[in-house]
Amino acid sequence: MRRGHWIKAAAAALVAVAVLAYLYDPPWIEGVTSGLRPWEQDPPGTLFRWTIGRASFFVPSNVATLTVPLRAVFPGPNGTPVRVELRDDGRLVGTIELTDPGAWVRQTLPLKPHAGRRRFRRIDLRISRVVPPFDLGVMTGEVVER
Amino acid sequence: MARGVRHFVAAAALVAAVAYAALYGRLYSPPTIHSDGYSYYVYLPSAFIYRDLTMEKLADDWYRGPYPEYTGLRRWPSTGRWLNLHPMGTAILMAPFFVVADLLTVWSNLPRDGFSLYYQHGAALGGMVFFLLGLAMVRRMLREQFSDGVVLATLVCLTWGTNLFHYAVFDGTFSHIYAFFAVCLFIWLVERWWERPALWCSIAVGVVAGINVLIRHTNAIYLLVLPLYGIVRWHDLGPRLAALRNRWRSLATAAVAGVVVVAPQLALYKRTTGAWLVNAYVTHGMGFSLTSPHFVDTLFSTQKGLFFWSPILLLGVAGVFVATGRARALAAPAVIVFAIQTALIATWSQWQFGASFGHRGFTDGFALAAPLMAASFDWVARHRKAIPAVAIGVTAAVLLSVAQMIQYWIGVLPMVDTTWAQYTDLFLRFR
Repeated sequence: MRRGHWIKAAAAALVAVAVLAYLYDPPWIEGVTSGLRPWEQDPPGTLFRWTIGRASFFVPSNVATLTVPLRAVFPGPNGTPVRVELRDDGRLVGTIELTDPGAWVRQTLPLKPHAGRRRFRRIDLRISRVVPPFDLGVMTGEVVER
Repeated sequence: MARGVRHFVAAAALVAAVAYAALYGRLYSPPTIHSDGYSYYVYLPSAFIYRDLTMEKLADDWYRGPYPEYTGLRRWPSTGRWLNLHPMGTAILMAPFFVVADLLTVWSNLPRDGFSLYYQHGAALGGMVFFLLGLAMVRRMLREQFSDGVVLATLVCLTWGTNLFHYAVFDGTFSHIYAFFAVCLFIWLVERWWERPALWCSIAVGVVAGINVLIRHTNAIYLLVLPLYGIVRWHDLGPRLAALRNRWRSLATAAVAGVVVVAPQLALYKRTTGAWLVNAYVTHGMGFSLTSPHFVDTLFSTQKGLFFWSPILLLGVAGVFVATGRARALAAPAVIVFAIQTALIATWSQWQFGASFGHRGFTDGFALAAPLMAASFDWVARHRKAIPAVAIGVTAAVLLSVAQMIQYWIGVLPMVDTTWAQYTDLFLRFR
């Protein structure tokens, strides 16, 4: 390989390492969601987003407690409660039961101190039922972090 | 090579990147994996993340039950298993981009759910890469016969005078841009195969043909390019049949390679439905409607007429009559494949192919139109009096196509069933 090729290869490797280093903990990740529809507003003015059967979003790593307002709207099969499982970077934090479909439930869950070096931790929701034909999971309101 | 031709693919990449950034570059942009793109893509998260080709686990995880109506997945009545309307070829070509997206997802701690940020961009990037590879192949083919000016004019018209750019950028997760690449590569291989049927070339012909059939099963019609390539008169048929008989070993090699590529799809059909060959469209109530074909609508209507939305392709029609050399060798395959494609689309119950810019049913075969369009430009270049009129017409057609593509992107043009009244009312309106 000629010297010029070595220099190009080294430059490409450096760029790749720099990109990977940046993508390990990018600052914009707090705005990333998955499985959540766009924000809407219900008649009293509450902001909410519909989930599907699963949803993910990010909160700062230094958050100690998390309150995710949840509302089922539609009951589970045969009128059973809708269960929403919350995970923090893959670890189970708790399961919230939505017994009254029409009510907002604002349960505060403690999060373990974050061990890693990332600035944000990922919160995953898994919803026990989805309502066709629009694949509606539950309504999630504005998350309160403390 | 003139600078314009040399840098064309890079320039197309730059324009595609800018358009893509405008369409999908924000965190809250709509998903790139949408509509039919979902069904083409869903094999990948099912196989790599859920490790389940039955598609059951993904449906359970995301929907706690059946796949949404807009997807191409339905349970096969007799077995209750998920059958995907769309075969796995597009997903196979997308796979490298998916794997990189998956690794980056783990690295960035994004949800490894198959549809989060990097998966969306990875799938879309795949479409753009195959678009550029296809353009590079078309350029290579055209340069073997035509001048730089003709090649550049053809590439510009093909890219922006048709819906090719749209299916590379806006609907890049659909199958069409992948099929465009596969057809480009297939034509190039067929030309090499007729020069010398080397073992590698026979295998490659079979593999690429297999991939193309896996992208869309009806793309089996492009196999006709192999036997028809180079036939320009009736009395070429006899020698061609003899040549094919003489090359039976090479043909058998290609056929075996093709069957090996298609085998996983057949195995999946067998597992899902109990039969090796399946018409998945019956689960969606779609099929051929031979009693009420839409030939004129398919080619000329305001709804999805091929030549109405991409009039530049009329240059390809003219090219059939003026083509010489290599372009003439592709005229017969192009005409016959186009005729069959038109018949298939016109007799299909959903002849508009649902939401699309222009008629997407023809996009796969634009590589066959390219040498014929180039032949027209070449003819014009030799008839200088025609140049001003053709230049004005072609420029207007390309600019109109770009304007209408933007109208479609921003939701001004209807996605389906456009009427003449709507078309004239919305003409060049951007709000």
